[in-house]
Amino acid sequence: MILLCGIPSEPPIALVREEIAKLGLPYVTFNQRMFDDMDLSFNISEGQVKGKLRVGQVIYRLEDFKGVYIRLMNDQLLPELKNEHANSPRRRFCLALHDTLIRWCEVTPARVVNRTSAMASNFSKPYQIQLIQQYGFKVPETLITNNPELVKDFLHKHQRLIYKSISGVRSIVQMLEQKDLNRLDLIRWCPVQFQEYIEGSNVRVHVIGTSVFATAATTTATDYRYPQLSEGSSTELGAYTLTDETIRMCINLTSHLKLEFSGIDLKITPQGEIYCLEVNSSPGFSYYELSTGQPIAKTLAQHLGSGISTQ
Amino acid sequence: MYLVLYNSYDTAALWAFRGLKAHGLNPIELVDADSLVCNPYFEHRIKTNQVSTKIKLPDGRQINSETTLGVLNRLQSIPTAQLKASKADNLYALQELTALFVSWLYSLPRPVLNPATPQGLSGEFKHASKWILMANSAGLTTAKYEQDSYDADKAPFRWIGRLVPPETPVKTVFVVYSQVVGKDIPPEVAEGCRRIAELAETPLLGIEFSDSFNDPWTFVGATPFPDLTLGGEALLDELAHALQSKREGHR
Repeated sequence: MILLCGIPSEPPIALVREEIAKLGLPYVTFNQRMFDDMDLSFNISEGQVKGKLRVGQVIYRLEDFKGVYIRLMNDQLLPELKNEHANSPRRRFCLALHDTLIRWCEVTPARVVNRTSAMASNFSKPYQIQLIQQYGFKVPETLITNNPELVKDFLHKHQRLIYKSISGVRSIVQMLEQKDLNRLDLIRWCPVQFQEYIEGSNVRVHVIGTSVFATAATTTATDYRYPQLSEGSSTELGAYTLTDETIRMCINLTSHLKLEFSGIDLKITPQGEIYCLEVNSSPGFSYYELSTGQPIAKTLAQHLGSGISTQ
Repeated sequence: MYLVLYNSYDTAALWAFRGLKAHGLNPIELVDADSLVCNPYFEHRIKTNQVSTKIKLPDGRQINSETTLGVLNRLQSIPTAQLKASKADNLYALQELTALFVSWLYSLPRPVLNPATPQGLSGEFKHASKWILMANSAGLTTAKYEQDSYDADKAPFRWIGRLVPPETPVKTVFVVYSQVVGKDIPPEVAEGCRRIAELAETPLLGIEFSDSFNDPWTFVGATPFPDLTLGGEALLDELAHALQSKREGHR
C-alpha cells in the first residue's frame, strides 16, 4: 500500500495519484486539509516500528505502507486554521499530527519520497555544492562575502555574476548589474552569495531510483523558471539526452544524498563541460512532465509501489 | 591555530578551552558567536575541489581555514541581537547567516568536533525516535518509544534527542572518534556507544543512560552537544589527542 501526503489537488500529488490508480496499486491519502478527521500513532520496540493511521472511519496499519510520497505544505498555514488563535487545541492537534507523521517517516523502513533529513542539504546552498562536488561534478566558482571590494574583483575576473540566496529560501536568480553595484555597500549588513555565470544550456534532471529524465530549458532569461521577469524572454522545455557517465553521476549523487527522488539542475557549456548548480529535494516535476510528456509521475508511482527503501 | 567556537552561555566550552590550553594546544583561540556575526570581513569561497574562508574579527584576530589545525565547534545558534532591521528582514538575515555558517563550519579542515550539518551547527540534533532506532541497531538496550497525534507537546525534550525530562538523573558516556570515555562501562555498552557514534557520523557524541538501579545502562538519549565538564580530565585528554591528530576528511 502507498501513502500520499499533502494537498491532493496539488499537481505533483495529483499526477502521482492518477498514475497509481492506473497501475491498480492500493493507496491512502493523508489529506492535510482533512486533519480533523485523522489521527496517527506509532511505537518503536526492539528495532521494530509499528503503528496506526485513522482516516475517517478506517484504520490502517502503518507497517502495511511500503511507499510514502510526502509533499506537505506548512500545516500552520492551512486555510482550515485561519480563524484559530496561535495556541488553540485544534492548531496544536494539527501540529502534533504532522509532527507524528514526519517522525514516523524518518524511522519507517518504507520507501519515503523523500525523508525530511535527506532533504536538509537544500537548506544551505553552499553546503550543498560542497557535497555535489564530492561526486564528480564541476560547480560554479562562488563567493559569499560582506566586502564590496571582493565582489568587484570577482566581477572583474568573471565578467558576469549572478546572485541568489544562501539559504533554502526560494529566490529568483538575478544577474549582477550596474544598478546593483550602486547599492553594493548594503552587503556589509549581511553577506551575500555571488556566483560566476555559466554560459550554456539549462538541463533539469529528475532521478527516481535508477530512472533518469533530462529536460533542457531553452531560454534567454537568467532564471528559466521565471521568463516573465526578463523582458521578451520565454522558456521552452524539451527532452534531452545525457551521456551514460552523466546519468551515472546523477544517480550516484541522488543516492549519496539519501534521496529517492531528486531534481538536479545542470548547466552544460558549449564546450561540453557539466556544472551542477543545485539539487532540489522536493521537485515540483509537473511543470516538466506536462511540457514534455516525460513519464515522471508514472515512474514515481512504480517506484513507490516497488517496496522497501534502501536509504 | 586551534579554535574553540562557542556561544557566550556555554560554560562547558570555556572549561574545555582552558583545559585544552593546559594540555598544550598552542596557539589556541576562543571565538564567540557574537564576534563572528558582527565581523567586519567575511570571505567564503568555493570552487571545484577547493573551499577557503577568511574572517577578520572585530578585535583584529583573523581566522583562516588554511592555517586551522583543529576545531572544537560548540556553536549552537546565531545571535540575533546584532540584527536591527524589520522583523521579516531579520528572519531572512538569520536564515542566510545560519546557512552560511553551516557551509563554513562544514568546510573546516578536520579534525572538527563536530562538523556542522543543516540540522545543527555543531552536529546533527536528532529526534529521540531516531536515536532509539539507531541505539537498537547499535545493540544498546532501549525503552519502548511511543508517539501519537495527541501527545507531541507533552515531551518537548524529544526534539533534543532525549527520552526523559532534563531533570532526570542520567549518566553520560562520551565517544571521541571511536574512543569511549566514562566510568565502569561494561564492554558491550562501550561497543554499542562506539557503534552509535559511527552510525550517527558524529565524532563527538554524548550518550545518556538511565541512572536508576532497576534499569542500568538503558539508553535514554544522545547529543552532539554534551556537557563536557561531566567527562573530566579523561575527556580533556581524548579531546586534546583528537584535535592534535590528522584526520581523513572530505577535504
